[in-house]
Amino acid sequence: MTVPLAIVGGLAGLAASVAVAAGIAVALLLAGVLCERFLARRVAAWGYAERKDDLLVRRGVLIRRQSVIPYGRMQFIDVTAGPVERSLGLATLRMHTAAAASDARIPGLDNTVAGTLRDQLAALGEAQAAGL
Amino acid sequence: MTSESPAGAPDGSSRPGDLPAIDHFPGTGPPDAGAEPVAATAVWHRLHPLSPLVSAGPRLAAIVVVLLGIALARQRQAGGDLVSDLVIVAIVLAGGVIRWLVTRWQVADGVLRVDTGLLRRDSRRFPLSQVQAIDVVQTGLARVLGLAELRLRVAGGDASRGGRLACLRRADAEHLRVQLLAMAGAARVGAVPAAASAPSAAPASGVRHETPGHDRLIFRVRPGRLAGAVLLSRAGVVAGIVIAALITVAALTGQSAIVAPFLPIGLGAVLGTWRQFNGEFGTTVVVAEDGLHLRSGLIQTTVETIRPGRVQAVRLVEPLVWRVFGWCRLEVDVAGPRQHHENRGEAQRLRAVIPVGTRLDAEQMMGKLLEARPLPSLRAPRVAAWKAPLMYHFLGWHGDERYVVASGGRVCRKTTWVPLEKVQSVRWVQGPVQRRLGLASVHLDVAGRRVAASIRDRDDAEAGQILGRLPDLARAARSRAAR
Repeated sequence: MTVPLAIVGGLAGLAASVAVAAGIAVALLLAGVLCERFLARRVAAWGYAERKDDLLVRRGVLIRRQSVIPYGRMQFIDVTAGPVERSLGLATLRMHTAAAASDARIPGLDNTVAGTLRDQLAALGEAQAAGL
Repeated sequence: MTSESPAGAPDGSSRPGDLPAIDHFPGTGPPDAGAEPVAATAVWHRLHPLSPLVSAGPRLAAIVVVLLGIALARQRQAGGDLVSDLVIVAIVLAGGVIRWLVTRWQVADGVLRVDTGLLRRDSRRFPLSQVQAIDVVQTGLARVLGLAELRLRVAGGDASRGGRLACLRRADAEHLRVQLLAMAGAARVGAVPAAASAPSAAPASGVRHETPGHDRLIFRVRPGRLAGAVLLSRAGVVAGIVIAALITVAALTGQSAIVAPFLPIGLGAVLGTWRQFNGEFGTTVVVAEDGLHLRSGLIQTTVETIRPGRVQAVRLVEPLVWRVFGWCRLEVDVAGPRQHHENRGEAQRLRAVIPVGTRLDAEQMMGKLLEARPLPSLRAPRVAAWKAPLMYHFLGWHGDERYVVASGGRVCRKTTWVPLEKVQSVRWVQGPVQRRLGLASVHLDVAGRRVAASIRDRDDAEAGQILGRLPDLARAARSRAAR
């Protein structure tokens, strides 16, 4: 993604001069590499673990967060897929508790994985459901 | 689940749209001592005939003011205008009257059912076992007419999920509230058939919570102190500064026209302060069998029951200036929807059990709300002072197997107690500065209005330990509470 973008940028810069074109290409290349590293770290930081009684969701690079959501506290579970996600066969799973602040989101799950995880979590939630 | 077909109504009590079949109008006749006004199940009731007037009250007042203003502005053709004015008023009232005509409610099998709507019928059921609290609210006009509104609070969601019965006669409303709460209690115990008979078992006169009997007053706010406290609170101080600034500018320039554009800001600040005073005036807390009865309000009065098992969090707030006088504020969070007329700022605020009181009042009240609570005695490590220099001196937490307490706040000290069985999720957060200093925070979320007990800036290892142990402790507390 980065290399073609840099080449296109460089070609566009040729209209001015060779030096400008080279500058644009190098700048785009650097920016792209940085972005990719950033995104890769961000994606790598997402993680979740199904434990015996609760779900652990971890995320964030700069600000790191870990959430523990007991299965019994889940009110409902969403699986959403935006147009980009759909084209890549991915989906985002989101768990809701009665507390507005508890955010547990697992993005970029494979479509089928998201579906099975949702059913699994729903079953666990039903088994351990607790009142308010 | 929703509405039955008109023909299939059970026991032929009535059908939607079949208005004359309604047997009883609470409030139209003298209260019959023998016949229970509301206990007879599966009877459709109607709201008080004056309720359209009450619900249209504020709108009507605004319209009347505008119309009067117009009429005064051009006094000449008053005769012709009067007719059109009356038509406008009638149209406003007609909507309310139609709404009243098509609204009915019923209590049966532990379910409150409210049917309303002319074109789009809307039938709602509120299983009483799900009800978190029931409030009796009286607006100014309703108070003059002796009416009251009943509001049911259901956990989660917004106010549209809660039920409203506006308006009933005041005595009926309070009576009905006691009955519904009794039924809710019976339904929760699990005896569903008993729920229907519970209200008739409770004598009509004995359960009213005005009757002294076993009810005990434990707190009453002092009006003078409340006025002082509101003026010294942040909103009050801001209002004072705004007004002082407006007056000085006007006096210095000698032209009052300069400040005219800023008047709405001053008015808003004053109104905010007034609203707080109005809402919290005369707060009294009474210990009754079914929990704490909280009554407050100057013009609009609210009666609310806080059931002991429904408290999600208790928060003690001590603003800077108040600490000089030894005052504090005690708030509770009961899971409930946001009322639709509350704005965002108000929704964030919790219900004040003690709007302002001494530490002793607060201690006494907390003894009623929580049993053997821990104090935030575990201070934050010294390095935390680098990350939160203004907050460091208030940071602390403690926990046992029932409660977790965390304190924080920069100028205003806030201490939050959360019962472990109410914890919805546990979050561990570490920002970049915290990572450098080897710190982390843990937040405990509870249901309701974005309240969390935040254990801020703990040692990394300690925070990890909290995150590891709290879910287990919370689960143990939950299973203990379920038993």
